[in-house]
Amino acid sequence: MMTFPAVLPTGVLLPESILHSDSFKMLATFVALNTLMYVTLAVLKVLPKGYVLSRFSGRNRRTQNRSIYPEPPAARTAEDGVDGNDTLICPP
Amino acid sequence: MVDPHGSAGTAERTHEAASRGSSADATREPSRAAGNPTTVGVPTPRQDRDDESSDVAVSNEQPTGAGTFARLIGLVIFGVAAIASAVLLAAASAVGPQVEVAPREGILLGFWSVLYATAAPSARVAVSAVALAALLVSGVALLELRISNRSRRSVDAQSDPLAPKLVMARTSGVFAGPVTVTVLIPAHDEEASLPQTIASLMGQTHPPERIIVVPDNCTDSTVEVARRAGVEVVESVGNTHKKAGALNQVLRQLLPAQGDNDTVMIVDADTRLDDGFLEAAVVRFTADRALMAIGGLFYGEDGAGMLGQFQRNEYTRYSRDIRRRRGRVFVLTGTSSMFRPAALRTVAQSRGSSIPGTPGDVYDTAALTEDNELTVALKSVGALMISPSQCTVVTEVMPSWRALWNQRLRWQRGALENLGAYGLTPKTFRYWAQQLGIGYGVIALAGYFALIVLTVLSVDSWVWFPFWMGLGLLFAVERVVAVWAGGWWARLLAAALLPELVFAAFLDVVYLKGVMDILLGRRAGWTHVTHLRSAEAIDDDTITGVSHR
Repeated sequence: MMTFPAVLPTGVLLPESILHSDSFKMLATFVALNTLMYVTLAVLKVLPKGYVLSRFSGRNRRTQNRSIYPEPPAARTAEDGVDGNDTLICPP
Repeated sequence: MVDPHGSAGTAERTHEAASRGSSADATREPSRAAGNPTTVGVPTPRQDRDDESSDVAVSNEQPTGAGTFARLIGLVIFGVAAIASAVLLAAASAVGPQVEVAPREGILLGFWSVLYATAAPSARVAVSAVALAALLVSGVALLELRISNRSRRSVDAQSDPLAPKLVMARTSGVFAGPVTVTVLIPAHDEEASLPQTIASLMGQTHPPERIIVVPDNCTDSTVEVARRAGVEVVESVGNTHKKAGALNQVLRQLLPAQGDNDTVMIVDADTRLDDGFLEAAVVRFTADRALMAIGGLFYGEDGAGMLGQFQRNEYTRYSRDIRRRRGRVFVLTGTSSMFRPAALRTVAQSRGSSIPGTPGDVYDTAALTEDNELTVALKSVGALMISPSQCTVVTEVMPSWRALWNQRLRWQRGALENLGAYGLTPKTFRYWAQQLGIGYGVIALAGYFALIVLTVLSVDSWVWFPFWMGLGLLFAVERVVAVWAGGWWARLLAAALLPELVFAAFLDVVYLKGVMDILLGRRAGWTHVTHLRSAEAIDDDTITGVSHR
């Protein structure tokens, strides 16, 4: 898995010279680049997520109670019209 | 160099794996449960479509909106991935080959003689590759967030009729009653698994108000089993559109009578809800009247050996991904999803105009993965949805490679065909990115295997590469961490790396087969593996390319 067969003079089925061809070396570089990219994604997936932006963004805080239970009229009046995330600006 | 799928390919595919399909299959003559007071026949909604009585006729359908683009969708996506690969190959060519370092001999543990080479890419190449990956992943994430926020804040009643602000406006000051739950269980020959599904529902801390089993063309005692369990039974009538068709029939009857807070839940008959699912969901729906849908997170049932463990690992990774997304939904899974009636009504009304499908149908009967399609439909009309971490279910795993092949072919084709039907829109962007990721992963993994095979066939000794071994270790860590919740077998399999690489290669072949089938217009048929009345009972809906029959 994590090993590479050696570049040695004797081949099992194919001539060893394949390993020194330009096309093989290009393939090896292609795979190397891919491996580096995928390992980056792997590291990102292991690291804990911070959610920094949403924690400090006021736009992501609801300014209105969205419960199915209607609020007292006073509460609704106080909150309606505040331009926040998902806020009802113009109630019917 | 290890596992190109380790962190992206398989992960992306498991998002698609959320598209758990129907257990209902309608290829046989309908059975009738005469004399059952709770059994109601539902009128056939559209005779013209239901006249298509043969399996082949049904399976011949393409997704709504099918055309040249729909046929080419797989090739388009795979082609873009191939172009990306070609660009990287060109970059590899420009970078030039790695500097070969002559292997040295070292002694390990005092007695083991090994050859090793300290070859590694240059710092410039390594940083470039890392930066490119980070840029791609963050770019997709930021774009998705921006699209999601824009949809969430929309006030455009034409494009986003279910946008939260509009729903809030419509329901302001109106109390539609407490949240209730009506569960629909579509079932095709599910006599073995149905009792467990019903029991898991009845045993919830917040049990549903109604449970309706929807037997669809059953040839076993599904109807009697449901009746004995004391739940309602509404059989499909003359349905040739499988699960989607059966549900459309029932929903057409049910929805008009449902109030705003009378939620509808769809549960597969091979799925068991974990306790607390409904309680958590009801709390969510109660707290947010703009919330339109809740999707369950699923785990694989025990059994099926290593093949089962592969699938359980996939599902575990999917659930972890969703949690890390804080519940943002990829797919409202067919195993267990809840909807506000307004969501389903809006979809039915929008079909044929702003979204594909037949007007009046909740589910698009032409879609191979109807749950994935419904998710895209709901997103397209601005619906707010979430998969809370408390809402979990246990579902079946495929017991054989053949069954898995069929299942995944259906998922893969369904996902691609849905994109073909919807095209590239802001709401489908994430799904396009997902499919591109899978397509690219196919090429990357093929390149990896090609390199390994060529090398193995050309040498007779091994050289150890510490740099690449280190990266392999990082992959292994990620694989294990991602399935940690799945237990020791899951971790062991993940740590081994190679078996999951082989599994990923299997899925890649399925992907390519799906692309080819779509391109060549091959028909997609359905098969059904019937549950046994035993602990190892199996049931699945599967799809088989007709050309394979």
